[in-house]
Amino acid sequence: MRAGIVWTILRREWSETVRNRLLMSTILVPPMILTIAPIAVSGLVGERSLPPDFAAHILAQRPEWSTFSRTELAGAFTVQQFLAFFLLMPAYIPLSIATFSIIGEKQARSLEPVLAAPIRTVELLAGKAVAALVPGILAGWLTYLVFVSIATVVYGPHLLGVVTDPSWLAGVLLLGPAVGLSSVVAAVIVSSRVNDPRVAQQIGGVIIVPIIGVTLLQATGTLLVGASGYLVMTVIVLVVSVIGLRAGVTLFDREAILTRWR
Amino acid sequence: MGHRTIVARTRQAGSASVRLLPVSANDAVMLRATGLGRRFGNLWAIRNMSLEVLRGEVLGLLGPNGAGKTTTVRLLAALIEPTEGTASIDGLDIREQADAVRATVGILTETPGLYEKLSATANLDFFGRLYGLDAATRAERIERYLRLFSLWDRRDDPAGGFSKGMKQKLAIARALLHEPSVVFLDEPTAALDPEAAYVVREAIESIRRSGRTIVLATHNLYEADRLCDRVAFVRGGLLRVDSPADLRQTLGGRGVEVGFAVAPGPAIVAAARRVDGVREADLLDRRLIVGAADPKAVTPALVRALVAAGSDIVDVRERATSLEQIYFEIMGVQPESDEAA
Repeated sequence: MRAGIVWTILRREWSETVRNRLLMSTILVPPMILTIAPIAVSGLVGERSLPPDFAAHILAQRPEWSTFSRTELAGAFTVQQFLAFFLLMPAYIPLSIATFSIIGEKQARSLEPVLAAPIRTVELLAGKAVAALVPGILAGWLTYLVFVSIATVVYGPHLLGVVTDPSWLAGVLLLGPAVGLSSVVAAVIVSSRVNDPRVAQQIGGVIIVPIIGVTLLQATGTLLVGASGYLVMTVIVLVVSVIGLRAGVTLFDREAILTRWR
Repeated sequence: MGHRTIVARTRQAGSASVRLLPVSANDAVMLRATGLGRRFGNLWAIRNMSLEVLRGEVLGLLGPNGAGKTTTVRLLAALIEPTEGTASIDGLDIREQADAVRATVGILTETPGLYEKLSATANLDFFGRLYGLDAATRAERIERYLRLFSLWDRRDDPAGGFSKGMKQKLAIARALLHEPSVVFLDEPTAALDPEAAYVVREAIESIRRSGRTIVLATHNLYEADRLCDRVAFVRGGLLRVDSPADLRQTLGGRGVEVGFAVAPGPAIVAAARRVDGVREADLLDRRLIVGAADPKAVTPALVRALVAAGSDIVDVRERATSLEQIYFEIMGVQPESDEAA
């Protein structure tokens, strides 16, 4: 694989992405909302505290929070719910970019001239995948940095430790990129079969279901996933992604694109 | 191009580890297909296609929809692999040296396939990079081809705002940017209005004048007649390949067409048939269609005979069989209208 060709494709992808207002709005607006939402919700929680039985249940899962006051514990529990937000960004942003990119090229019939050039399809796929993946990962990480910065001011030192503990770091820094990769794989597979980016996103959006599942488990206090839990999920997502990637590479074959993609 | 030919000869002389098709004693052959076939599922798109295209030649691929023209172009441009047979471009095997073949050919696909949000320059620059051109070469060629196709003043405009003809010209510029030895043009004027089609044909003429080998897949028989040195009739395989002139000589007829003020009677037809050199004569509305091997030689005697028979002639012109008529004959189809035939 030639890095120069991959870089050329990636640059072209980004050039088109920044000129697509609809796509840019779907990339930029949600991170802003997802950054503000946790702060706003925490503000609403205010001085409230958790019911004693529920607080005990939470502390059983997170003994390191035992030094928190009742209101701090309520705040920590609330803030913990928003880790899933930082997994949503690497999930939906690559999905949006990749589906727009691949289906856009299908509709414009612009892949054939590219495939007529002396490039390998794996270089084309890599360029498109990285072009979709990087903004999602960066958006997740940058939003997290902004979130942590704001949390320092709003939550104080105790809760700052919550959003920078190993579970958050594993979730944002490891599981996020893995989810992004699975999202790109889903986009490639789905985009080869449908001709509308919105339909592809709806179908590919199934990737978000497990994240919602994790959110629900945490929201009900059933399971507050720790760092080891996020590491296990990262491995599972990567394994599933690699299996899916094999299917994606087969679908992204030169002949398949030219003769079977409709 | 010359260097590659020398390499191919050296390899043929015995040191080759890479399988190459034998380079013809006649280096004029740029493209050679031998028993080429491609199957999709149980359906053969084309089969047993063998042909040679000379350097600098313009070959037209003619055939109805689904005849295998696009498949042939894709096979020869090493975009898809043949199921059977093989082909070479400038001595490069389309199976074994597909990347090298793709670097050697330029292709205009059925649709321009431009990046519509990018400018004309950005579109060409992207492809220049894919073909490995350095920055200075890219800049020089982008300017040269945009000027050649009168797009220089619009170089910074998004391609999406271009007319169909401009888009097609930009796509042709893209196909030429790496200065390919062979250019494949797949339906270059399809869906274009007459003005845009004219502009694109002029662009093709300029490629032709540059001495490049061109393979032109088209439905447009006028276009093929005007631009092609030879035409290949394709329907699931190669039916026939020849120059339009030779096709007319062997398949078509030549003659004279005479127009009358009023529809002539049988006596006029009979008078025409008695003229030396006239093979046949038939009426079509107010026109007499006369078959003759040498129309110029027969015309004076024919006109004298018709005037003597009492006809009022309004015009006389030499008549040659159209490529359209030859197309119908080779394809074995009959147009519905008598006049079209």
